Amino acid sequence: MSLLRLCQQAVRQQTAARAACVATRNHATDSNIPQTTEQKQDAAITEAPQRDVVAADIVSGAPKELRHRVVRIFQPTRSTTQSGSGKSNRWRIDWDILPGAGRWENPLMGWASSADYMQGTRLSFRTKEDAIHFAEKQGWDYYVAATEIKRIPPKNYAENFLYKPDKLRLIRTK
Amino acid sequence: MLRLVSSASKPSSAGVLAKVVVAPSSSRSSRRTFSSTTAKKADITLTVDGKEVTVPQGSALIQACEAAGATIPRFCYHDRLAIAGNCREGVMEFLLANHPLDCPICDQGGECDLQDQSMRYGADRTRFHEISGKRAVEDKDLGPLVKTSMNRCIQCTRCVRFANEVAGVEELGTTGRGNDMQIGTYVAKTMNSELSGNVVDLCPVGALTSKPYAFHARPWELKHTDSVDVLDAVGSNIRVDSRGLVVMRVQPRPNDDVNEEWISDKTRYAYDGLRFQRLTVPLVKQGDRFVTVSWEDALASVADGLVRSGAKGDEIKAIAGHLADTESLVALKDLLNRLGSDNTALDHVGGHAAPVHAVDVRSNYLFNSTIPGVEQADVILLVGTNPRHEAAVLNSRIRKSWLHTTLEVGLIGERVDTTYGYDYLGADAKALADFVAGKGEFAKKFKEAKRPLIIVGSSLVEHPDGAAIFNALAKFTEANKEKLITPEWNGFSVLQRAASRAAAYDIGFVPSKKASSTKPKFVYLLNADEVNPKDIPEDAFVVYQGHHGDLGAQLADVVLPGAAYTEKGMTWVNTEGRAQLGRAAVPPPGASREDWKIIRALSEIVGTPLPYDDILSLRDRMWEISPTLLRYDSLEPTSVDVALTGLKALAAGTANAKVTGEPIKKPIDNFYQTDPISRASVTMAQCTRAFVKGEDYGFSELSNASEAAFA
Repeated sequence: MSLLRLCQQAVRQQTAARAACVATRNHATDSNIPQTTEQKQDAAITEAPQRDVVAADIVSGAPKELRHRVVRIFQPTRSTTQSGSGKSNRWRIDWDILPGAGRWENPLMGWASSADYMQGTRLSFRTKEDAIHFAEKQGWDYYVAATEIKRIPPKNYAENFLYKPDKLRLIRTK
Repeated sequence: MLRLVSSASKPSSAGVLAKVVVAPSSSRSSRRTFSSTTAKKADITLTVDGKEVTVPQGSALIQACEAAGATIPRFCYHDRLAIAGNCREGVMEFLLANHPLDCPICDQGGECDLQDQSMRYGADRTRFHEISGKRAVEDKDLGPLVKTSMNRCIQCTRCVRFANEVAGVEELGTTGRGNDMQIGTYVAKTMNSELSGNVVDLCPVGALTSKPYAFHARPWELKHTDSVDVLDAVGSNIRVDSRGLVVMRVQPRPNDDVNEEWISDKTRYAYDGLRFQRLTVPLVKQGDRFVTVSWEDALASVADGLVRSGAKGDEIKAIAGHLADTESLVALKDLLNRLGSDNTALDHVGGHAAPVHAVDVRSNYLFNSTIPGVEQADVILLVGTNPRHEAAVLNSRIRKSWLHTTLEVGLIGERVDTTYGYDYLGADAKALADFVAGKGEFAKKFKEAKRPLIIVGSSLVEHPDGAAIFNALAKFTEANKEKLITPEWNGFSVLQRAASRAAAYDIGFVPSKKASSTKPKFVYLLNADEVNPKDIPEDAFVVYQGHHGDLGAQLADVVLPGAAYTEKGMTWVNTEGRAQLGRAAVPPPGASREDWKIIRALSEIVGTPLPYDDILSLRDRMWEISPTLLRYDSLEPTSVDVALTGLKALAAGTANAKVTGEPIKKPIDNFYQTDPISRASVTMAQCTRAFVKGEDYGFSELSNASEAAFA
């Protein structure tokens, strides 16, 4: 617990007062990690904008290589084979496939094998902001794909029987 | 969530609405400036499940419910088709009375509306005890793409409505009534349309399924990758469904700015071409045969060939083909420029020289009216183009507008079947001169139009009279600028047909005048498979980089295997100038690599390393060239002043053009085979036999054999 706090402290660059406060809390626990010397802050160095994001990637144990991959945040489009729009409200994060030997056909069974440990991962979020927050927390570079553009005109049964003054253009064989 | 917005198309899309809106616009047209948008429709607020929603007047109740988040089960209703009102469908038990319970062997299983809805709303046991059994219907043969299993048909008539309204196939229809109603083509006839694959998606049950995909995969096994189609220049949004290393199918992805929810049959079914004729290892020609070598040796022999050929400056030539992605185009142009050459040519007839419209102003070569904008035009003049084969999805928009509004279409060029009626003006530059002079009925209609549109075919750049035609069109557009070029409307649109073309023009992948007359000693073919072998000098050293062993690879001394569009996440710019990001669904086969990486590696070996090591810094370079290349999914409109400047430059640049009077030919004879991928595809070859050559394609399979034998 205190380790996580320390990490937060390191990343967030808290103000002196808050850092001291956290440090005291650290001290209160029976942690044997030495206190960091956060207090001395150089006024000449401009601070990075504060983000209220817990840097989870430091303690998550995820491989460093994951930070070199850009993730895509997107909203899945409706499948054209079905009418329902289910699952197209959520936001998802996914990874590009690994180029080169990310996938191969296993000689034993003929099934697909993969060296990409993210290929089976599917993360869903309620909102775009949730997804962005998660990606930032993990320290992943991300981009947000544009959402589906829908422009459905009003539909009306009466349109089938509209009078058209000119030559008949639509031949209905229904 | 569905957001209902008022129609972007012309205001007769709804019955009640039409009366309200059409009447004032026709009778009091003088009062409404033509730049005004569609009349404001009254919005109606209603309460669904205690939730208040507001929808435009004229909407169907099912749309209002959908907007409120309450999805009503439906079979016949479809957002993009006319309303049928086959309401007996609503009763699940009636539907299942005649529907076979063969979900385990049905290709629709897992993505079937009927299956889902009977799981959710249906009874769990049957009350069906007819001794005569279920209705049996003979299967129809609709050609090599659509497989039918007519026992499963629930007569929603979505396919018939699609064929009537969108595809323009009047042969598909219904016969009989009630229980005996059948869907078919009356007499044994294939469904000859380049959009026919969409009926497979529309069919809510398994009556119409994909023939090439039959029994190959189940929907839950597939990995979906959102990508962009490159087999024409529309840039249709697609979803590549893959399993393991193989692309199993390609599905459309709805996007109302580009392809609505349709894709052409080539887009949908040419994917099997990705499995055949692939270049998987680097090859070097020794004597009259290719020998497999390592990447290192292959790149070294290219560098060696460059030195031995003695090519200097403009004698180093690159030809970029239809399927080259933007990143590799940028890398190749940078490499050639660093080697001191300006000889960056394109892969079409006359591509060795810069195009007549030049590439200085974007609006001279882009589809300025935008694809959805086509529906706002009230008169369209097609010059030297057959949109049905060059941009099938765009053609369906013209048809939609033609059906629902008073759109008039004129055509200059070879006579073609466009699925809508048109006034034929002639086949050559003289016909255009007559039109410009205001002769003929159609020219009058064009003069009176409020939003006229000229669609210029990409084949005119290849035509001997291309310069003269562009000159006439530029002058005409300029003279009628108060209608054709306004802040809201740009009615001068060039329809490209190659996926790479707009990007190539954007980055200036065209040769300088001096370079175009230089005889090359070293030729680099990047996905160039349309080249005329006679245009490449005998003694030149030829490198081919691409993914298929097609024409270009045969000519090469060294072959470098690249990745196809489903194997690389690259930028594609469509004919409107809309940059879209494709994504890699499967890894490239064998030792093949992403194309820009090959060029980057080669630059190192020839001693002029390119300054980018990863895709991000390459995209920074693209941003330097043109930010539009990276502004994904958006359009950068050209301002009126710049567009007019461009037209002036175009008119000035082509001022001395002479008219030879040669008739304009359509550039695509066979829609199904236009690029290395579709030429390698078995399905596309079958389509060519069935639809282009009109051969009696394998009718035996379905009509003679029993379904069990086929399964």
